[in-house]
Amino acid sequence: MNSRKAAAVIAVPLLGALSLTACTGPGTTEEAGGPVSIDQDWSQAEPLTIDVFDGLANYMGTQSGWFGKVVKDKFNLELNVIAPNVAGGGDTLYNTRVAGGDLGDLVVVDKGEKLDELVEGGLVLDASPYVDSMTNLAPFDAALDHLNEGKDGVYGFPTAVSSISPTESSEGLEPTFGPYLRWDLYAEAGYPEIGTLEDLLPVLADMQEAHPEADNGQKAYAVSLFKDWDGNMMVMGKQPTTLYGYDEIGFVLAKADGSDYQSIVDPDSEYVRALRFYHEANQLGLVDPESTTQNYDTMFSKYQNGQVLLSWWPWLGQSAYNTDENMADGKGFELVPMADQQIFSYGAEVYGGKQVLAIGAGAEDPARLAAFIDWLYSPEGVTMNGSQTGASAGPQDLTWEVGENGEPALTEFGEQVFLGGGADVPAEWGGGAYTDGVSTLNVQTVLPKDVDPSTGFPYNYTFWPSYQDKVANPLTEDWSERMGGAASTMEYLQANDQLLVAPGSSFTAPADTSEIETIRSQVKASIVEHSWKMVFAKDDAEFDALLASMKETAEGLGYQTVLDFDMANAEAQNDAREAVANEFG
Amino acid sequence: MSLTQGTPAATGAPAATQAAATPLPVAGRGTPSRRPGGRRRGGRPSSARSSKTMFLLVAPFLVLVFLFSYLPLAGWATAFYDYKPALGLAGSEFVGLQWFEMLVSSPVQLQQIGQVLTNTLAMSFLGFATSLLPVFFAMLLNEIRAPWFRNAVQTLTTLPNFISWVLVYLIAFSLFSSTGLVNSVLGDWGLITAPLKFLDTDQHVWLTMLLWSLWKGLGWGAIMYLAAITSIDPALYESARIDGANRFQLMRYITFPQLMPTYVVLLVLSIANMLNNGMEQYYVFQNAFNKEYIQVLDLYVYNIGITGNSLSMATALGMLKSLISVLLLVAANAVAKRARGTSII
Repeated sequence: MNSRKAAAVIAVPLLGALSLTACTGPGTTEEAGGPVSIDQDWSQAEPLTIDVFDGLANYMGTQSGWFGKVVKDKFNLELNVIAPNVAGGGDTLYNTRVAGGDLGDLVVVDKGEKLDELVEGGLVLDASPYVDSMTNLAPFDAALDHLNEGKDGVYGFPTAVSSISPTESSEGLEPTFGPYLRWDLYAEAGYPEIGTLEDLLPVLADMQEAHPEADNGQKAYAVSLFKDWDGNMMVMGKQPTTLYGYDEIGFVLAKADGSDYQSIVDPDSEYVRALRFYHEANQLGLVDPESTTQNYDTMFSKYQNGQVLLSWWPWLGQSAYNTDENMADGKGFELVPMADQQIFSYGAEVYGGKQVLAIGAGAEDPARLAAFIDWLYSPEGVTMNGSQTGASAGPQDLTWEVGENGEPALTEFGEQVFLGGGADVPAEWGGGAYTDGVSTLNVQTVLPKDVDPSTGFPYNYTFWPSYQDKVANPLTEDWSERMGGAASTMEYLQANDQLLVAPGSSFTAPADTSEIETIRSQVKASIVEHSWKMVFAKDDAEFDALLASMKETAEGLGYQTVLDFDMANAEAQNDAREAVANEFG
Repeated sequence: MSLTQGTPAATGAPAATQAAATPLPVAGRGTPSRRPGGRRRGGRPSSARSSKTMFLLVAPFLVLVFLFSYLPLAGWATAFYDYKPALGLAGSEFVGLQWFEMLVSSPVQLQQIGQVLTNTLAMSFLGFATSLLPVFFAMLLNEIRAPWFRNAVQTLTTLPNFISWVLVYLIAFSLFSSTGLVNSVLGDWGLITAPLKFLDTDQHVWLTMLLWSLWKGLGWGAIMYLAAITSIDPALYESARIDGANRFQLMRYITFPQLMPTYVVLLVLSIANMLNNGMEQYYVFQNAFNKEYIQVLDLYVYNIGITGNSLSMATALGMLKSLISVLLLVAANAVAKRARGTSII
């Protein structure tokens, strides 16, 4: 071997390695040509499996069951869902896939910073050639234009679009937040009056004392916490603030009507008030000691078993515990009348929600993907897709049908599915349990409260008169009687002026500069850490010391810079809300 | 690393010249196409050839070292950019020393890094302080006469090394959580009214972490010493026994001193790894309550880079780690120079 060969032996692997490191650049976008029609029978197209990177999905793998079959029959597509929520580790999966230059063929991400980055990095496709022939999307053109404003093409498709007034609540019969107690135990305690948040404590103490154990023999606690969703603050600490009309934007709690902005580390803030509430609850022995270590799933199963008595969300307490059987026995979670509550409610978003759909730059058959996305906006797509908890009615003629009177109603099978605890799907629809076949995309293209043009009734079946007649039970009857005959929680809150709707402006906060992002990530870790310690502090003195330490540490890490940024955003958000309320309200 | 490289390189040199002086065995095999007769003719070309062959033999390893130890250093560039994965390094903005300035910008930040370094060094030193335990354990194990019992003990103590930290945490959780076995039993016996907090407390974090890593690593660490014990000359024991030494005296005056060279090599190796005390263990055990004392450097970098999504800042911190490592090395070198009169570098 001569020296030239020797040099080659060394150089070749080196060059190989260097070229490996060089090939992580972003993919390229194709030159946008003229309009392309997507109007064809895709069921005869070549079979195709697409990667769906879905920031909302709670399931990872191939979409199976009836929804999988519908997509396969219509588009000959198989959806391989990639879910960062399941993979865990925050943005790790997103970052690695993005750095690799291919996020997925179909992408569900947050608008704003993430979408902008993907557009700039050339990871999502300009879908403008297809838009003209996307007929189902056409009614939502305003939202589409608004979303892609300032971009050189159409990159994102809006979600949860709505034609309802933005000053009207986007929620269904229940608000997103609220003080939900085990109504049966509350009744047993003699329906005590609750003036304010802190008044819940003695009531909860009575309830827990009367029922220290759940039906399964395990200990029951008034409050059970979890940490999985902690972000800028302890997520369970934020929830009670929504009862007074506040929602978070960074480190700021902003009131829905724009009348107040609070810094969360301020000792007088609603956030600290909530932490104090938990702290006192813990002193009274009302907090589940497993709170510090359990995750959402464990906590959810405790709700299912009746081991927890308070829920800040209907979609936690009610969806876990209010089964047909329990409600027939008069047991279940219902909103209690807290005298000074002003519950935060999200207004309908004319311009769409926080997430967007996009087609990946490397997608093999973008026209087919555009057709699939377009279908998701059709009445058929909206009823079939939709999230697991979004009260989507499912396929027409399977779970529901339009009756002789022209009103939609659940079929017997649908009743079994939604009220009877589930059922198996007939073979011609793909077989398997109904719930296993529900769309795992977990994204709503159109707000479920919106009216389905094909029936004239909302997509959400819980609004249908036929459904409401059916679901009366001892629990709801007792609740309704105590609440002045209100037919639903929403009706009660609206009648008593206890709902504060934040107009749906579709405002997205501008991206954090990396300096702010870095400070934020350190500050929030410290705030969350301190919050947990405060809840479980051994006495008030320790609580106060930790509070002081939280403020001090946060400020030492540069809290003020981030707070100023968030305050400006909160005010901009309010301006956007006022603007949209003036225009559409 | 460099601490150990000194000796093989020094002893390796005469071996190499020896090979050059008697060219046949090594060089001949390296070039099978040549007729062996041709090599005997002159000493000079064969010496050059043999050193070239030696170089070629080493070359693949040099390439590997370059690929895995030096090429990744290119990633340090990330620390000078505002790195965004979607845009790549080329598309991200160059920010110079911004991240380094941020690391030292405020007293609280410095204090946090100080705490992290304290945790890292404290846990490493606790590791050194207990590094004799595997030696004693191996010595005691060696004294067990019944083979079945010795094997059973060795298997049982080695096994934890193969359990991942995630599973270790599951075990810890089922035993020591507020509703775990220990608390339930103590509660049932009426010894406690409120559950004891073993996992979610900032008390004795270093100690509990040490105990877990000892539980996991003790048996495994003893294997090396057990092997070293088998190579001790039996004649030593025999003569000691003739002199009337009992078993403890044998352990004290023969086994222990004979194990010391092995121990010192392993200790020096672990000193070089002082800042690398890993993160898996601390990652699975961390929670809001013990985070202050459990965050070691590796975990801190992970928490900032991956959890906090500040990849550039994490890179800057990673560079800081290298800097401290170099400082430690220089310090160790100075100590060695003073103690033994020879320098490592």
